[in-house]
Amino acid sequence: MALYCQLMRLYLLAYAAIFSLTILSFYGLINFGDEGLDTALLQDSYFYAILGFTLKQALLSALLSVGIAIPIARSLYFLPTLRFKKMFLTFCLLCFVTPTLIVITGLVALLGRSGFLTPSLNSVLNNFTDSTWNLYGFSGILIAHVFMNMPLAVRIIYLQLQTIPDNSWKLASQLKLSRRQCFSIVEWAVLKNSSILLFCFIFVLCFNSFAVVLALGGGPQSTTLEVAIYQALKYDFNIPEALTLAWTQLIVAGGLYWLITRGGGVSWQSIESSQYNWRPNLNVNTRFWFTSLYGFSWLILLLPYLSLLPGLFDSELSSKDLKAIGRSALISIGLAATSASLAMALAFALLRPIRQAALKAHSKRVWLYESLATHSLVAPAMVLSVGLFVYLLPRIDLDRWGIIFVVLLNTALVIPFAVQKLKPRLLQFDQQYDRLACSLKLTQHARWKIEWPFIKEIYLATMGLVLVLAMGDVAIFSIFGTTDWTTLPWLIYGYASSYRITEASAASFLLLMLCAFFLFFLEKLSAHKVARKRLIDHSQPYKGETHA
Amino acid sequence: MNKLFSLLAACGLATSAHAADLTVYTYDSFVSEWGPGPQLEAAFEESCQCDVKFIAVDDGVSILNRLRIEKDKTKADVLLGLDDSLTEVTRRESLVQPHGITLDGLKPELQWQDQDFIPYDYGFFSFVYNTNKVKQPVTSLKALIDSGASIIYQDPRTSTPGQGLMLWVKSVYGDDSANAWKQLASHTVTVTKGWWEAYSMFLEGDADYVLSYNTSPAYHAVTEEKQQYRAAAFSEGHVAQIEVAAISKYAKNPKLAKQFLSFLISPQAQSIIPTTNWMLPVIDNIELPEAFDELIQPKRIGFTPKQIAKQRKSWIREWRSTAN
Amino acid sequence: MLKIQNLLLELDGWPLRYTMQIETGEIVAIQGVSGVGKTTLLNLIGGYQTPDGGSIEWNQQPLTSLAVEERPVSILFQDHNLFEHISVIDNLCLGFEGQAPLAAIKSASSHLDVAQHLDKKPATLSGGQRQRIALIRTLLRPEPIVLLDEPFAELDPLTREKAALWCKEQAKANKKTVLLVTHQDEDVDRMADRRITLS
Repeated sequence: MALYCQLMRLYLLAYAAIFSLTILSFYGLINFGDEGLDTALLQDSYFYAILGFTLKQALLSALLSVGIAIPIARSLYFLPTLRFKKMFLTFCLLCFVTPTLIVITGLVALLGRSGFLTPSLNSVLNNFTDSTWNLYGFSGILIAHVFMNMPLAVRIIYLQLQTIPDNSWKLASQLKLSRRQCFSIVEWAVLKNSSILLFCFIFVLCFNSFAVVLALGGGPQSTTLEVAIYQALKYDFNIPEALTLAWTQLIVAGGLYWLITRGGGVSWQSIESSQYNWRPNLNVNTRFWFTSLYGFSWLILLLPYLSLLPGLFDSELSSKDLKAIGRSALISIGLAATSASLAMALAFALLRPIRQAALKAHSKRVWLYESLATHSLVAPAMVLSVGLFVYLLPRIDLDRWGIIFVVLLNTALVIPFAVQKLKPRLLQFDQQYDRLACSLKLTQHARWKIEWPFIKEIYLATMGLVLVLAMGDVAIFSIFGTTDWTTLPWLIYGYASSYRITEASAASFLLLMLCAFFLFFLEKLSAHKVARKRLIDHSQPYKGETHA
Repeated sequence: MNKLFSLLAACGLATSAHAADLTVYTYDSFVSEWGPGPQLEAAFEESCQCDVKFIAVDDGVSILNRLRIEKDKTKADVLLGLDDSLTEVTRRESLVQPHGITLDGLKPELQWQDQDFIPYDYGFFSFVYNTNKVKQPVTSLKALIDSGASIIYQDPRTSTPGQGLMLWVKSVYGDDSANAWKQLASHTVTVTKGWWEAYSMFLEGDADYVLSYNTSPAYHAVTEEKQQYRAAAFSEGHVAQIEVAAISKYAKNPKLAKQFLSFLISPQAQSIIPTTNWMLPVIDNIELPEAFDELIQPKRIGFTPKQIAKQRKSWIREWRSTAN
Repeated sequence: MLKIQNLLLELDGWPLRYTMQIETGEIVAIQGVSGVGKTTLLNLIGGYQTPDGGSIEWNQQPLTSLAVEERPVSILFQDHNLFEHISVIDNLCLGFEGQAPLAAIKSASSHLDVAQHLDKKPATLSGGQRQRIALIRTLLRPEPIVLLDEPFAELDPLTREKAALWCKEQAKANKKTVLLVTHQDEDVDRMADRRITLS
């Protein structure tokens, strides 16, 4: 029991660690400004205009992402023998983690004024209206947000659909339910919670969106809170205003997220599995539509990446550039790997009390711990990094140690992803085996030896995700980074801000390849188990309970 | 991988461990391998027999912000990379000290009198176009705003060229600026956060004109041997951006700092800067690639740093409420 | 008439063969030791497994080529017969074309002592209660063939008898052809017209 208490204390230390970062940064800002909040801002119509715009674009982006993802995920689910499906799912993840600057470049090359698709879009549009296609503005923001978030939604909804037990389908076909009934009774039952949570999650991401809004927004009417915070902090150095905006963002985004997740045990990341084989029969027509939808999704998701390729061919890199790019790539990998390892360890510790509470069915407490563990998802990243910078600069030689804070802050920002992705699997383990493990009086070590193979697959895949997320960072590096440690994304900005667009696109391509490599590699590493389980088409014999 | 990482860590930490004789705060692209930083450092270190260290932050505004936070604890001896729109705030917060350098050698058109700041390069904000696309470029800001040509510019809240355009519109239109912004918005493709987003979109062919500098064509001509990019000369005149350096109020070695500032406006440094930072030299008689002779040489208009510091906020408010 | 001829399914290299004829309206008990393929037979008739050879015919119409949804079959699985997230009454009303026969459902529910649970979620009920509810739906559905896989396994002796007699009454009244998998001889005695022992 004493040992247990000590362990518990260790886990609470993890909470203390991630919280101290947040508290120090807010303390840094509040203390530095010493002027409190700027309440006059709350009477400014500008404030409500940007709040309104932030909400509007986030709501629509989230709605569209989830709405489009559902049919695509269903086509993946109902056609188990689709080719390259595994690759498609990993590719979905890649779209989600691709650094924004690459997404924007790709979309502009594809849909901008001189984009590859623009002439054909215009000829289609001309049939209906006089106006020509314009990427910039609300449509651009929506397209970029949907492009980045919808694939993630497809992935999660697909995995969620896979949790439908065979028996539900057998029962549904036995009861001769119509397709609409099937959807509302069988599918929606497993999708409802995760769709709502997914919606919230994407909403929060888009609510905090920054680079996309500034690049594709098309003018001051497209200003989000995060943009306003950036402006207040950086260009006006107006800390009261920045703090007022930051609190607004924290309260609105955080409040909404926490309210909806309070429902308890559900998670937007579902347990990944493919042990269910039964699929209802589809008629030829539906098969055709689902297959076309799948092919179309591939095309849509690939196009922005493909449109980056022509820019690559006319780039000639000097050996100096190659060296700089190679060096930055290594630094990026090193830093991201450190952040990812730290985040995975911390996430594991943070999940301990959540698991304890879940075992005792204290759903309120699960929610509380979970909100605390993932709070950095809704905290404005800009405020975290600038606040910490303000706090540390007079105290620590940041030119020497800044890189440590690049790692720490990146760790803090990816922890919510690690926690959410690991949680369902760990809870599943507890639910199935905790009683058994307890009654067998397993030692911590012995228990770990059973637990590890159970979670390994998801652990490695999660590691890949957070590693790639950390690798794309520029916001934190721009504040804490030093030139000795130039990362690949930072180098890209460096090239781009000195007219070296071709070098920038070559470096972007390498960054993208690295992201893809880590995602595919870690998924592969963890996937041999899944590959062994044969996905069975409906026409093949059903291999379930074969004996009476 | 771990070994490599710790090796990198050792190198990275080791290089920043020693204390230099002169510490210069500047912005990132200044010290990048292709920027002026490395060459200037080598040249100055040779002449002073001392050790210079650059600490690079995001951009000019970040230099100022960092000084605001550090106050008397700053390591900076020299601040390099602020521009004329920031000098007034920096002075007001007492972050610099007089440089005591005679300003006779500077180009007379700069009319530089500042006792705290030394200019080291400058450029005129200009709209750049592609001659293959735009055959008859506009010849005034009013013509551009009244035209239907597609335009990309930068957000005045987050970028210096954006702020430059704001000053430009203000000095050409005065009280009528709100209408000008409205007019401009009707054919604006997008307003970006920073210079390079706008410029790369322009290079992708997303607009007829992009807000940049009159020196931009020189880059394309010298480095890429591309002649089709030109800056449009406007009859009303152009607003200039003058990049400046100063001695920190808390400099540990003001004498060496002064020496560095003098070096910055020496012919040696001035011939390095134009082809690495792609701006114009601040003294005459610098030998430059031919492409620089072909650049437009506009008349300078605009506001004093004092006026900018006073009005900036209300002008930004006007922009953000009308440029939709 | 349900006619099963040389029906063959190979499971893990082990061939299962079935041949039998069941008259319309007949109640037949299927018996045999565990692993002999009783559930597999029901799965084959229901369409959940595809045979490697042979035929299943219902009134001269071959069933093997039909999808699950097209077969005239109503099955009671060993478990998971109810959707857990919708109420008992909603569960009972599924599987009917058009309006569900509410009156019949209600009278059957009171006869089998589950009428007070109609508005609850299945998860709150005991195994025996759930089994009776599923049984009601399986027999009231209009399908002529009824397959019951251990339908009384979780019932106490008294309820077991009551349920078995109710099943028989319903089946006979509606001319259902019933295949009943059970290990208990008393079920066979109470319900079945004859027994087939698989080996």
